[in-house]
Amino acid sequence: MSYLIQKEYVKYECTCGSLKPISKLYFCRHCLELRCGYCVCHEVDSHYCSNCMEHLPSAEAKFRKNRCNTCFDCPNCFHTLSVRATTRSAEDGNTKTPTKHYYLACFFCRWTSRDVGIPDQTTGTGNWPVKELPFQETLNSYLEYYKVLAMRERNLKEKKTYSSPLIRGYSSFSEKFGLTSMIARKRAGLPPLSLGGKENTQSSLPKIVPSVAVDDVEPLPDTYFTDLTKITTLSQRHSYPMLQAETITSLHPQHRHFYIKCSLRCRRCEHNVSKPEYNPGSIKFKIQLAAYYHMPEVRIMTFEPLKIGKPSEIILKITNPTQHLTSLQFGSLINSEERKNLKTEEISETKKEKLPLELPRPIRNLQINTDVELPQCSVILPPRDDAAEYDDSADTHNFQDDTKVVVWRKGNKVAVKMKITPQNGMEGGEESIFGFSMEYGYVNTMPTLEQKQPLRAEIQVNLFISRATYHLRRIN
Amino acid sequence: MSIYDGLTAGKPAVVVDFGARYTKFGFAGEFSPRCIIPTQVICPSSRKLRWVFDYEDEADLYALLVTFIHKLYFRHALVSPKDRDVVVIESILSPTKFRDTVAKVLFLHYEVSSLLYLPSHLIVLAGLGLSTALVVDVGYSESQVIPVYEGVPILNAWQAQPIGSKAVEERLRKNLKEAYEEIKNAGGDASRVLKPIDLDLETLPDHVIEDIKVRTCFVTTYERGKAMADGIRPPQPPFADYRLGGYSVLRIPGEVREATYEVVFERDNEQSSLANLILESILKCGIDTRRALAENLVIVGGTSMAPGFKSRLISELRRLVKDNFYKPKLYISNFKMHVPLVKENVASWLGGSIFGATDMLPLRALTKEKYFTLKTVPDWCNLATNELYLSKLTLS
Ligand SMILES: [Zn+2]
Ligand SMILES: [Zn+2]
Ligand SMILES: [Zn+2]
Ligand SMILES: [Zn+2]
Ligand SMILES: [Zn+2]
Repeated sequence: MSYLIQKEYVKYECTCGSLKPISKLYFCRHCLELRCGYCVCHEVDSHYCSNCMEHLPSAEAKFRKNRCNTCFDCPNCFHTLSVRATTRSAEDGNTKTPTKHYYLACFFCRWTSRDVGIPDQTTGTGNWPVKELPFQETLNSYLEYYKVLAMRERNLKEKKTYSSPLIRGYSSFSEKFGLTSMIARKRAGLPPLSLGGKENTQSSLPKIVPSVAVDDVEPLPDTYFTDLTKITTLSQRHSYPMLQAETITSLHPQHRHFYIKCSLRCRRCEHNVSKPEYNPGSIKFKIQLAAYYHMPEVRIMTFEPLKIGKPSEIILKITNPTQHLTSLQFGSLINSEERKNLKTEEISETKKEKLPLELPRPIRNLQINTDVELPQCSVILPPRDDAAEYDDSADTHNFQDDTKVVVWRKGNKVAVKMKITPQNGMEGGEESIFGFSMEYGYVNTMPTLEQKQPLRAEIQVNLFISRATYHLRRIN
Repeated sequence: MSIYDGLTAGKPAVVVDFGARYTKFGFAGEFSPRCIIPTQVICPSSRKLRWVFDYEDEADLYALLVTFIHKLYFRHALVSPKDRDVVVIESILSPTKFRDTVAKVLFLHYEVSSLLYLPSHLIVLAGLGLSTALVVDVGYSESQVIPVYEGVPILNAWQAQPIGSKAVEERLRKNLKEAYEEIKNAGGDASRVLKPIDLDLETLPDHVIEDIKVRTCFVTTYERGKAMADGIRPPQPPFADYRLGGYSVLRIPGEVREATYEVVFERDNEQSSLANLILESILKCGIDTRRALAENLVIVGGTSMAPGFKSRLISELRRLVKDNFYKPKLYISNFKMHVPLVKENVASWLGGSIFGATDMLPLRALTKEKYFTLKTVPDWCNLATNELYLSKLTLS
């Protein structure tokens, strides 16, 4: 799988217009269309802790605020903390039996829970102190208050019991005239107009104590901080939004944040194109409709040095990963917008309404600057045969290949020769890019309700092939 | 809210406050955001970090937001965006292009069920239980002042100036460069504190400058600031050594540490200090409202968290109001400030979280269906669509 580390020379055009290497594409077997990370719907599948590998159902993960119950992160460097134990005798002096004491320590930066005065625990799993948000109760009272306010406004709106058109006029124009009317009413000793206002002393409205402004704000301390090791960085503060400790001494460890496994769903047919196994230890998938299992893979095998305005040869290796014989046809790039319109017309009107809205097409910063002379004949590609891989003698296929096009073949692989010509006006150092469409036969073995037999379909895909820039520079 | 509400009461909305530098993200009904992360993404093609707000055009912004919001949901919130409500906190001065693109990304790409925009200056008061205040938001690229009286923002009195963390960081870089330039010209041993350095301060990355600002700089007192403005150099505070990595240390002179934040308070010819901004705003409000506003200052925004910031601001206001320019017009005797119950950088988020948990959401949010029929986000100032879009909350 060298393409996973190689530069992305060969890109396929996804149905949505993104250009991606084959390793990043999916093939929806229900729509017979390419899909990619941009045009599928991501869904959170399962939550797990990447340290202890505990995994939880979503509801419980939500309840624990997406944090692991056992693991902690270092508030100083964000690595995982370890539990360390020491043995010492109890301090009261009465009992001489030594007991175990536990504290949290970071093996990376040497931070320990003792640094910030967190008392040692007598159990390993620890009953580590948790920071509570100050003013929790006040904030709760505000929340309740605004909940009642909003509910009242909603009831009013639903009943449409605006007392008079005048008031309705006022409230909808409150931006423009709200203030003057408000003051006018206040002067006249009338309650303000806004719906369910505080002064509307209705009994059901919860009482709150609003914040009181103060005369004196905390002045700058006389001792200006000088020791930088004592002041936290922004990332240390932001990693714990509730606390935002400004000094090292007030840092506090936080439970480790969960990670998730993600499943991907085709937006059109709502089938999964990728679904991982639930267990976080497993790297396998229940469903993985990766494109490299379903469509011919194109790679650059070799090429002649490029000269501007002069044709040179390039040989592409094409591999058929499926269990079915296919035939390849090459043509100029197809306008994917046009193709999409054709496709949508096939779909009946009732179905069309259910289709999700078109995603905006991604911006493409790729410019074709090289012409290509494509083979006119079609090329047969035999199915993959795992057994034949190890059998050198068994190349029994007898194909009537045009030797000008097919320069080599073995099993399910074929090498196809093309001629490419960089266009005049190309700069040295510029990347040479050419593109063409490839049509191949695809056999859909998946039985559907209407169709029990394997279905054969012709699929077209646009390919964009770029070659490293230095080749061009060397020749000029 | 009891902790079990999360399990029983359906799906709480997610609340996002997109900041020019830091984005606050969490769930409605909670009092603290789940994460504060830089509003930036790694560009998939160039592998470079890009700030979302440095977008080139709408298509670029769309792509940046798709990537950034993916990170918010799948790295931090860990919930599927589809069919969940979203509350976006925005400045009422935020460009239409931005709010439209956010809506487009959320509805088209993430298929959220509804979207509610909340004006930050108004909702911040929910976290204090107030309905009248002069809201001063000191952010990254600018400071905004908007008076709110009895729950109604006085829009014609808003003020904004590009004084915020960006200006402070630019000043810090300039001051550092000047300090080291001086040493170089003086021949090196002229000062016991600074040694010439083999480092180009111009190329020092922004995040290092930001870190130096956060960890070494402070806002000095009114008296010392005044002396500096008058050209008197009071005795310097001690220097601080900043470790750049490895054994490389950058010494920050005391003067630089002290003088950097002065950019917020300097009264140049245009009278554009933060204190000026506040007084100008009050001046534009009706006489009846002025005293209530001056005695209910609410200072929010990450920049205001610098040590000494608020104390300096209130001293500046108290002096400036006695100035011959304002004295005959304003008739204000005192200023009072509110102490927020949460940190200043998450104060707006908190207001959004409170409102996002009420019936305000079903009442005023723009639903997916409505968005697809309108194909646009109704604008707050557009009276034609005002009936549909009532996000101008009347709090009182
Ligand atoms: Zn795609
Ligand atoms: Zn994903
Ligand atoms: Zn764990
Ligand atoms: Zn650590
Ligand atoms: Zn599909």
